Amino acid sequence: MKLVFYGGGFEEYNIELDLEAIRLSGKKRPKVTYIPSCSYGLEADFKAFSDHYRDLGVKQIMYFPIDLPFDRVLEREIQSSDIIHLSGGNTFYFLNHLRKKKWLSKLKTFVGDGGVLTGLSAGGILMTPDIKTASYPSFDCDENEDRIRNFEALNLVEFEFFPHYRNSKRYNEVLTKESKKIKNRSLFASPDGSGLVVEGSRISFIGRNYLFLNGVKHYIKEQTRLIQ
Amino acid sequence: MSRIKLNIQNPFNSPTEDYETFDQIDGSHPLKKKVPESVVEYKARYRDGGKVAAFNFDLAKEIGLLDEDHPDKLSKSLSKKILDTFSIMIINEYDEIVGKKFPEDQIKPNTYMATRYLQLQHPNKQGKTSGDGRSIWNGQVKHKGKVYDISSCGTGATCLSPATHLYGRYFESGDPSISYGCGYSEVDEGFSTLFFSEIFEKNKIGTERLLAVIEFPNKISINVRVHQNLIRPSHMFNHLKQGNHEALTKMVDYHIAREKRNKIWKEVPKGQQKYDYFLNKECEIFSDLVARFESDYIFCWLDWDGDNILMDGSVIDFGSIRQFGLFHHEYRFDDVSRFSTSIKEQKHKAKYCIQTFAQLVDYVKTGKRKPLKDFNNHQILKKFDKVFEDKSLEYFVTKIGFNSKDTKYLLKSKRKEVLSFYKTFCYFERYKSLHGLHEVGDGINWDAIYCMRDLLRELPQLYLSRGENIKKSEFIEIARSSYATDPDVALTNYKSKKIKDFQESYWKLINLVSKSSKKSQEKILLEISMRSSIVNKFDRVTGDSITTIVNKILGQRPKLSPVEIQKILRDFSEYQNMDPDTKDYQNRHAKQGRLMKGMLKIVRDYREGL
Repeated sequence: MKLVFYGGGFEEYNIELDLEAIRLSGKKRPKVTYIPSCSYGLEADFKAFSDHYRDLGVKQIMYFPIDLPFDRVLEREIQSSDIIHLSGGNTFYFLNHLRKKKWLSKLKTFVGDGGVLTGLSAGGILMTPDIKTASYPSFDCDENEDRIRNFEALNLVEFEFFPHYRNSKRYNEVLTKESKKIKNRSLFASPDGSGLVVEGSRISFIGRNYLFLNGVKHYIKEQTRLIQ
Repeated sequence: MSRIKLNIQNPFNSPTEDYETFDQIDGSHPLKKKVPESVVEYKARYRDGGKVAAFNFDLAKEIGLLDEDHPDKLSKSLSKKILDTFSIMIINEYDEIVGKKFPEDQIKPNTYMATRYLQLQHPNKQGKTSGDGRSIWNGQVKHKGKVYDISSCGTGATCLSPATHLYGRYFESGDPSISYGCGYSEVDEGFSTLFFSEIFEKNKIGTERLLAVIEFPNKISINVRVHQNLIRPSHMFNHLKQGNHEALTKMVDYHIAREKRNKIWKEVPKGQQKYDYFLNKECEIFSDLVARFESDYIFCWLDWDGDNILMDGSVIDFGSIRQFGLFHHEYRFDDVSRFSTSIKEQKHKAKYCIQTFAQLVDYVKTGKRKPLKDFNNHQILKKFDKVFEDKSLEYFVTKIGFNSKDTKYLLKSKRKEVLSFYKTFCYFERYKSLHGLHEVGDGINWDAIYCMRDLLRELPQLYLSRGENIKKSEFIEIARSSYATDPDVALTNYKSKKIKDFQESYWKLINLVSKSSKKSQEKILLEISMRSSIVNKFDRVTGDSITTIVNKILGQRPKLSPVEIQKILRDFSEYQNMDPDTKDYQNRHAKQGRLMKGMLKIVRDYREGL
């Protein structure tokens, strides 16, 4: 299993994580697909993503707006990618459309077959068991406009992921409280520009990351260790 | 989750309160003196009961009516100024005959003109009785070296309305016994024009633009339009048909001077040669215009009268404008007494207009009006065909996704290859359903079945991924639209050959550009893929979707204020901006509100239609 979780931020802050994704693909020039959370505003995001990956030497870059109708030809082609990147955006909307288009199972198969799945913010949350972390804290959460009730996500890892983390009192209070609710399960919090790399049973931490476990906050240095 | 870059306006900026700039719009217009034969002047009065339903702040700033840092805020003073300036009703012949009295303080000091022009729907085919039937010109605005004409639709029935001449009498404005000709316009017309025209403007398709919609009870409105020059070919064709050499010459001179004044025509020669320049310019404008319309599937009822379009090729009167999702080239609007032209026939009508311009220029120069058929072989018509083909190819190459530099190279050095590809492209674009000709909501159509935009959007991605041709069945699967049935898309030997030709031609252009620019195929394909994602965007509005969206927006009112409408208009027109070179790439992680979501759903539902 090869996964990269991005805490957030624009492309220039995430080069290290991008290079990790390319390394995980085992190819110098992998085939990369960008799946935006929403087709609205796709062009600007895809251009930035594409320009950035092009600078990293990647030339085969595709996009696949999941909330628009698509044909099977393109769908099959996307599944042949080396890396699939799930963008940031509204996590509820994104999950809703991935589920509607039956792409949750396709992404699981993709990962199972050795593909590299990366996710920024909402995209990262989607790789965890559920998307609860998108619903807090109340002062900085996604709106569930589509009113989805089933929060189950890809469930590729056992931990939970909180992007755009800021090391402040009000964030810490909420995350400490939430981590108590999920007993013994890790809740990793990554600020913009930081993130996690999962490779099989090992996890690496890039940049400044934090772990909230059973109501206690831990700072994690850049390191690689076994997933517990 | 996403982090958003905020662009917040300074809330402490207070709007200018006097709005003196509006005062120049008082009915004055040079055409009254320059070509008096072309106008009918009316006294006008303030019309009570109006309220501002929409106001285009961006346009108001562009033409200098508002300061550039004016916030999107419709203060009481601004609203009052808009109403004082534009909420007017003419005092027409009917009012004079029946001796209607209006309070002196409500009567405007100046007169406002309705202009005369040729209209095929009028009984008189020389334009003696036709023109602005429900519009008047409010005047002009001067800003940053440009002059803008402003006119309003729905300001009362003029003597130039069709009803006056069909029934042989004058009508009271708003007379319920007639609809077309009563002098009123409607709110939905105003909003359709507002949204459609701003989308056209974003995509550099010349258009009138809407400044304001002033709403009155019973869904009627005054719709205020702006353009740098509101003269139409039909403003000249009436004088030509009537053999009025003096009026025609004055009108042509007036138009040339306006284009010079606005620095649109920069090298106008002096003396008689200026008329040849004029003819050449109109030829370029009209041939380019119809090539663009074909390329973008824009239906505009062009006809011999030169109505529905401005002299600079800008669209006027969106009532007869459609943008199709596919190349529905057999669609005709049913106008009760006749069917409209089709998209493909627009070219012939435009060419006919140019032939008429050739006749017109000859008449202006010689003082003798020769029959139109004498100009059947005029050299300007050859130029028309040449420019039309050049522009059609240019729009085609741009539609594939090539940037301007590569487009120039291909058109200049590899025209044969481009032309060959274009012919194959047209084979699929114009392919029609086995279903045949049938009635649709407001006319007839014979459905096109291939969505070439989808094909052009996906193909570069697939080529980039595979580095080779896709299968024929895949080609069909991508391009088939919801109009296609299985028998429609069945693979024949000829169709298979055409698919092969299509893909070979595509690769040929990629290779040629790759070789000339010394960039890898992959790099070219990636750039095309990115540009094509915008040029051939999945969600593209059609005429039907605009109508439905406008109904949705109107249904949200009065909760939706003019300021909120401005924001939706701005977001929606930018969303529909399909020009990769002017697209706003700064607006990352744009959020779509609930209403915008609903609007996009409508766009999707109608994307292949009329």
